[in-house]
Amino acid sequence: MSRTGAFTLRLAESWTEIRENLGRSVLQALGVMVGVASVLGGFSISDSHQARSDERWRKLGGMERLNVQPAEAIRGGNPSALQSANLGLRRLDADEGEEMNRKAVNATSVQKNARARVRSPYADQTRQISGIGGDFLPLNGYEIERGRLFSTSELEAGAPVCLLGAEAALAFFPTGDPLGQSITLGETRVVVVGVLRELVFRWRDGDGNAFAWRNRLIAAPAAFVATRMQGDKYSRVDRVTFKIPDLSLMEGFARELVAVLKSNHRLQDDFRIDDIAARMRKRQSQGQVYNIVFLLSGVLSLIGGGMVNVNIQLASLKERVREIGVRMAIGASGKEVFKSFLTEALLLTLLGSLAGLLLGVVFAKAICSFLEIPALLRPTSFLLAFVVAAGFGVLFALYPAWKASRLSPMEALRYE
Amino acid sequence: MENVIVTRSLTKVFGANGNAVHALRGIDLEVARGEFVALVGPSGSGKSTLMAIIGCLDSPTAGTYTLGGESVERLSGSALARIRNEKVGFVFQTYNLLPRATVSRNVELPMLYAGVGRRQRRERALELLEQVGIPEKADRLPSELSGGQRQRVAIARALANRPALLLADEPTGALDSKTGAEVLGMFQQLNRQGHTVLLVTHDASIAALASRRVELHDGLVRTVESRAD
Ligand SMILES: Nc1ncnc2c1ncn2[C@@H]1O[C@H](COP(=O)(O)OP(=O)(O)OP(=O)(O)O)[C@@H](O)[C@H]1O
Ligand SMILES: [Mg+2]
Repeated sequence: MSRTGAFTLRLAESWTEIRENLGRSVLQALGVMVGVASVLGGFSISDSHQARSDERWRKLGGMERLNVQPAEAIRGGNPSALQSANLGLRRLDADEGEEMNRKAVNATSVQKNARARVRSPYADQTRQISGIGGDFLPLNGYEIERGRLFSTSELEAGAPVCLLGAEAALAFFPTGDPLGQSITLGETRVVVVGVLRELVFRWRDGDGNAFAWRNRLIAAPAAFVATRMQGDKYSRVDRVTFKIPDLSLMEGFARELVAVLKSNHRLQDDFRIDDIAARMRKRQSQGQVYNIVFLLSGVLSLIGGGMVNVNIQLASLKERVREIGVRMAIGASGKEVFKSFLTEALLLTLLGSLAGLLLGVVFAKAICSFLEIPALLRPTSFLLAFVVAAGFGVLFALYPAWKASRLSPMEALRYE
Repeated sequence: MENVIVTRSLTKVFGANGNAVHALRGIDLEVARGEFVALVGPSGSGKSTLMAIIGCLDSPTAGTYTLGGESVERLSGSALARIRNEKVGFVFQTYNLLPRATVSRNVELPMLYAGVGRRQRRERALELLEQVGIPEKADRLPSELSGGQRQRVAIARALANRPALLLADEPTGALDSKTGAEVLGMFQQLNRQGHTVLLVTHDASIAALASRRVELHDGLVRTVESRAD
């Protein structure tokens, strides 16, 4: 460092001091260690859990989505004329929403649900049928495994075609390839044009597939479900989803959308807007509450350890008063003494926090393996734990170092 | 001749009011460059107190002290540290070496505080250990040395930054007479080389070797005797 090597020498002296008073040093480092481990371990556990939850959302098709669903607008009594004339949530709403703000929206989908009897040569069950439109598959994290998507003209015309989720494919066609086979939805025979890839998500390694229900999907064009299965000529839908990749545009878009939908719906509040990103933000802020708790408990043990350190440092100062006197007698300034005390405390903090980081990793891995989730250790958590520990290390080293630097040389030399 | 040390009405009081100890009660002392002064007097007469003030380890309660033409009273703590480091070499009765540092590191320490580079420090330390006659002990710990050898290390350390003034408070007090004589011979030689030496002693025969003998009594200078030759 410096030309005189004063820093390295101070470091070497501090190291000797630490080694020769091992018991005391270990005690001093312990507080730092526990504090760092608790901050790092805590952060990592909450990060690991967060990462799990984020992965689930990614597999659900991302969280940059805005859902619109019908809601009950009529509460008690007979509907007014205006209410009766209202047609509810329709395909049109999806199109207008997309049209309204092409900058914000990069994909749109609609969904129309029905329950119906589903028959194949192998099975006969009552199942949920999803009438889908637009970019339903990518927006919900589905991928085609074999076959193809619905074509635009099939979607427009409500053609008799369907896609099967992995479970549905197996249930209705346990043997042979379902592609090109026909299956009866309600009273209408449709052709299976695609099979979807199986979706899997487990909270913990040993857990069951949390996405099993999603593999039960039986999808047909929304127009098909509305007209052929439900006889609805207005193309009402049960859900409209907009994908808004730029989350900063979400709020403005939602506000515009409410205005457009309200005027479309004859001023009825018969829809509900669900901003998934906002919901996630709320959950994330809950995660941050945990982080603050972990940080706080780490800081508390750092403060506790710090106070112990002050006392130990002051006690060890007593042992070293004469030595300080000697150093001062041969020309060490108060500043010099201050620096050497601080160096020692910093070295201890450094060693303590390195041990703490190690312990924190062990701690995080142990708890994550107990929870059976993969452990996530972010570099920023390491950095934060380290910086916090170093900060407290310096803070609590200041007082004893200052005390030492204020000794008068003669009194220090005469000290018994 | 130029005076290295000039004190005027120097007093030092320890404690306050009821149990105040008047260790120095008005010392007027002048020491010229190149002198060898022996400070004698009964126990408790204030010799060590005076030495500490002259060596800037302590400050007087009242009076003035000028070291090498510079008035010392108003100086800051770090300025005093600098004077102790560069202008004064202190040798104590009990050696006061750092027990965990090697001999050469002990000698290097004043140079470290003066900002001398590592290589130069080491070279000068070896040169000084050569001069005091124990070059082979450079990498030993003080605890591995005899009393006389330790005092040699202390002298080497005092000389590290080539101070004009050497202060020694009973440097032979803990040594047998033969070793004491050797150490004393070293101070005489350093004095001949131009160092100003101020030495506290109880031993009349040692005091007789000095060019001047200053006797303290109860915090005051009682007699000053210069050697005839
Ligand atoms: N820090 C102190 N606090 C209180 N009293 C002190 C202090 N230092 C010295 N004294 C008192 O001042 C007086 C002079 O002490 P000093 O050490 O200067 O004597 P001395 O001449 O060196 O004696 P000795 O020959 O025994 O070393 C003594 O009475 C001593 O008790
Ligand atoms: Mg004395």
